[in-house]
Amino acid sequence: MKGIKILERVLIAIPIMLAVTILVFVFMRVMPGDPVDKILGESGHVSAEEIQALKSEFHLDQPLSTQLRIFISGIFHGDLGKSFQERRPVWDIITERIPATVELALGALLFSLIVSIPIGIISAVKQNSLVDRLGMAFTFLGISAPGFWLGIILIIIFACKLGILPVYGRITFAFKPIHITGMYVLDSILSRNWPALKDSLTHLILPSISLGAAQAAVTTRILRSSMLEVLRADYITLARTKGLSEYIVITKHALRNALIPTVTVIGLQIGALLGGNMIIETVFAWPGLGRLVVTSIFNRDFPVVQGAVMFYALIYVTANLIVDILYTYLNPKTFL
Amino acid sequence: MKRLVYLLLIVFLLLGLTSNIFAASKDTIVIGLSSPILSLDPANHRDRVSETVIRNMFDGLVTRGPDMVIVPEIAESWKWLDDTTCEFKIRKGITFHNGEALTAEDVEFTFNRIIKEGGMDGESSPRKGLLGPLESVEMVDDYTVIFKLSEIWPVLLKMLPHQQIAPKDYLEEVGTEEFRKHPIGAGPFKFVEGTLIERVVLERFDDYYGGSPDLPPVGVAPLKTVIFEILPESSTRVAAFISGACDIIQIVPAVDVPLIEKNPNRVIKYSRGTNAYNLEMNVTKPPFNDVKVRKAMAYAVDRDLLIEMVYNSEGSVFAGPLFPYEEMFDTSLKPYGYKPELAKVLLKEAGYPDGFSIVLDTTAEFKEPAEVIAGMLAEVGIKCTVRLWEWGVLKPLLLKGERDLVLQTWGSSILDPVGYVDAKFLTNGRGNYSQYSNAEVDKCINEGASIIDPAKRKEIYKEMQRIIYEECPAFGFSTDDLTGCSADLINWEPIPDSRINLHDASFK
Repeated sequence: MKGIKILERVLIAIPIMLAVTILVFVFMRVMPGDPVDKILGESGHVSAEEIQALKSEFHLDQPLSTQLRIFISGIFHGDLGKSFQERRPVWDIITERIPATVELALGALLFSLIVSIPIGIISAVKQNSLVDRLGMAFTFLGISAPGFWLGIILIIIFACKLGILPVYGRITFAFKPIHITGMYVLDSILSRNWPALKDSLTHLILPSISLGAAQAAVTTRILRSSMLEVLRADYITLARTKGLSEYIVITKHALRNALIPTVTVIGLQIGALLGGNMIIETVFAWPGLGRLVVTSIFNRDFPVVQGAVMFYALIYVTANLIVDILYTYLNPKTFL
Repeated sequence: MKRLVYLLLIVFLLLGLTSNIFAASKDTIVIGLSSPILSLDPANHRDRVSETVIRNMFDGLVTRGPDMVIVPEIAESWKWLDDTTCEFKIRKGITFHNGEALTAEDVEFTFNRIIKEGGMDGESSPRKGLLGPLESVEMVDDYTVIFKLSEIWPVLLKMLPHQQIAPKDYLEEVGTEEFRKHPIGAGPFKFVEGTLIERVVLERFDDYYGGSPDLPPVGVAPLKTVIFEILPESSTRVAAFISGACDIIQIVPAVDVPLIEKNPNRVIKYSRGTNAYNLEMNVTKPPFNDVKVRKAMAYAVDRDLLIEMVYNSEGSVFAGPLFPYEEMFDTSLKPYGYKPELAKVLLKEAGYPDGFSIVLDTTAEFKEPAEVIAGMLAEVGIKCTVRLWEWGVLKPLLLKGERDLVLQTWGSSILDPVGYVDAKFLTNGRGNYSQYSNAEVDKCINEGASIIDPAKRKEIYKEMQRIIYEECPAFGFSTDDLTGCSADLINWEPIPDSRINLHDASFK
């Protein structure tokens, strides 16, 4: 039964993605700015024939309805079109960048969880203690500090002053592992290339912290407040009176219940980590999807923006679905 | 908890000990580029950054050195057979990176690929316009090729350094798509690997013919590996340069110059810019439909101070439309200097004794100079507000004449009026944001582009400059390009057309 429900949700995702993409298709074309003008740049030596040839090649001289028909028919044939700027299939351009974005999002998520879960629990258990106050000061800083600012500060300290971490990029050229998944940390492990693993991890640290800091702060606060609520519940008092150790009470009874709202937030964060990393990717010259989308919007590279938005829609729909499935395990009373 | 802290400390220390891995060895150079590369196919872009990478892998018929003089490269010599026909003799003994000989057939193929509609496996090249009225390129024998123009075009040679020769056989064998993934040229470095958004790695081509004999030293490049890193964020690029991760970086922000200069291993190289900054006024609408107001604006802005304050470089103030260091510039013209009192008088005469309010449109990258200009205009009573736009949104409004005042740049990498004045000052030019239109100027622009004799061209452009100077639809300046360079790098100078030519470069 649960399987059918999951399948149903997956099928519902398809029209959602399509609707989002069509909206973007229309908005991009309604927006002022000419893709051909962008290709030809701010220079002379441009002929009218040249402009016409490019417009015709990109179907920009056709009515909007014809352009939409060509686009939709392409999608059903598995063809997202070609980038106006690079003249390469959009599918290739996007899939080339997804591993970088996913790797950074996972790094940020890992950082966020490593920091937020212990601090959230300790802050709640030892409410109003020094640890709690320091933890809350950290979350305040995490929420207030913009990612790009934090990124630049971290670069100045750890790369320029101390020289212990690299300024930019995903890996040093000489250490690049064999391409398996495109995620260098994972590829290094799979190919047992330990120097590459070390190098890719050092590259991942600063962008992950910069991207994950705000998420860590939010998760810490949510976990702390839900823990506080749960710790005051009758069943926790009962567990304590039964003589269970404090460790068991907190981890088995309190944490599991406090995790329900926390998982919701983490689920939403996965979407934000994958889709909201444009600035961090730019600061750290991280060759991911975020940077691509920003550049493509400025260049009016319609096919790339459409393809990327489809991917983002897929991420959000999937992240929400995963959260809903996780709910059913954390709280068997909920249904899909 | 304590254990976790200790563990993290140990990890950090270990990482610290391994930090030497980031330093490149001295036969490897790392260049920080200011934007992503659009293509590695020399026929498939209109972008200076892409061209910088491509021109280290591909050579052209001709090239230019830091002094901007055109010298032979793959071509050994050339001869004009008549006003529209030019014959090029190709150097013998040149091979592509795959070992195949470069002949006139490859030259013919390269140019036809650009000028023919759908010439790149059905796609049209965006570089066609850069070859103006080039009608055909035909091979006469293995080492002779004839260029035929449909009309006289005096800048053919100046435009040719921007076109690189591609291998016909290889391209036909693998197709355009594969060629773009694994490009092969006849330049000093060959492609190893890379993606357009991350980095491109090149390796020395040991069978290189040596390059232009007019740009010694001739021979194989001293550097073994060249790595182009894509670092669009300027603070990251500067941090990478200061930390030693990059040996050369493009476009150093003026504000970071003092920080860089503190480091004895890092130097800033200045080269004359080929981008004109223009303050353009809409001549079809009040208040700028009055030439007195336009001149008052020019007198009110201290461009020398602006260049010094904002760009921390030498730069040049324009007198009229052209760069003061280009061949066709009329040296008798002197820039409108900073004369705020005269500006006030002119405003009064034009009926604006108390000035007026105006919006200065620009994009985020020019925010700082625009704000300085607004401050200077306030001194003469013009209340100027800076409005920042996204360029794709602003440009159509400017071309429709819906805005009043704009600060923008326009490139002229060949430093010739052709390709510049026809965009900026010709009626309905594709960069004519001042809506300027003057039949006499249009006539000069068209005539100047259809005569070969430099002396006659200079005479025609002199008249054009005089009129534009007098009517003042725009006033401009240029700044030096700032390139960051490692102090131990020798035999390397930036070129005004932004090319980073690494053929001769080496480390001390």
